[in-house]
Amino acid sequence: MHEQDEVNRMDQIESLMKRPVLYNNIDGVGELGLGLFCLCCGLLDWTQVRNPTTYLWHRWWGMLWFWLIIAVIYYGSKAIKTHITYPRTGFVEYRKRKSAWMSALALGCATALLAAWVATLASRSHWHIGGPHWGMTTPAALLGLLYAGAYAYKIAGEIRWKWVVAAAMAICSVVIAMLPASMIGVVAANTSDFTTLPANYRAWILTITIYGAIMLISGCVSLVLYMRHTQPAMETAE
Amino acid sequence: MNLKTRKLYELDRVIHEPGRLMLVALLYAVEQADFLYLQHETEMNKGTLSSHLSKLEEAGYVEVTKTYRGKIPQTLLRLTAEGRQAFQQYRHRLKEAL
Repeated sequence: MHEQDEVNRMDQIESLMKRPVLYNNIDGVGELGLGLFCLCCGLLDWTQVRNPTTYLWHRWWGMLWFWLIIAVIYYGSKAIKTHITYPRTGFVEYRKRKSAWMSALALGCATALLAAWVATLASRSHWHIGGPHWGMTTPAALLGLLYAGAYAYKIAGEIRWKWVVAAAMAICSVVIAMLPASMIGVVAANTSDFTTLPANYRAWILTITIYGAIMLISGCVSLVLYMRHTQPAMETAE
Repeated sequence: MNLKTRKLYELDRVIHEPGRLMLVALLYAVEQADFLYLQHETEMNKGTLSSHLSKLEEAGYVEVTKTYRGKIPQTLLRLTAEGRQAFQQYRHRLKEAL
């Protein structure tokens, strides 16, 4: 009995130590930022694909939009935290671990490898209208499913209603992979790249745009729920 | 007294109290946090939380800094090096005792 109490205590300690990490997305700001980033990347890619190479989207300064979005996400998140989150549920400063850059490097390498894999598969199979497309869009769908799995593991594991979001992501990936060839072709219709742009890449643009929209909606719902269930703290002696 | 019982007996009493254990576990995972965050996570009232934090401060495990966020007073708390070491030792001993 006594030993069981100590085992429970150990479990409680481990669970408590994870809480500050989860607190980072208590207001949905993490998802809002990531959602906006994915949505904008998808839309920027789409605009580049849709427009002829002479348009401003293909010039180097067209990328300024990208940096503007990064700035909006960074300062927007900071503003929400400062004006909404900290006065309601408190301030947390996270530890700057020495090994953090190693994790970032490993994550960067893994992402680069995955992107290279998708690009290799894509370059082997160019788009043919009306032809088979399942094999061409499968890598994009698999990447999407991988992302949905990671989301379910990291976020939905703690907040139950987020399973709906994870399920929506997974369903979208499968649906995109199964869409008729003509529908995926719409992504790059009327462009000079029409015949050369791989189906895989079009499927990826669709996936990342839809994922961004889903996460943006999920983040907004989290923020509204957070604001509804919390109030700014009264100023009294601590 | 067997070895397991002895290990339990040797646990740090300052940290072993459930309320203080919660606080130390939360602070261990971060660089620093404010009073409001700890109150939100532990659901303790201000009096109880202050009392536990005072005991941890007396033991040299927690460092308290009074500051301002804009015009609003803010109490920041962080585990000292001694506090981190004590908590690591506590977890190690608890694991050994199980």
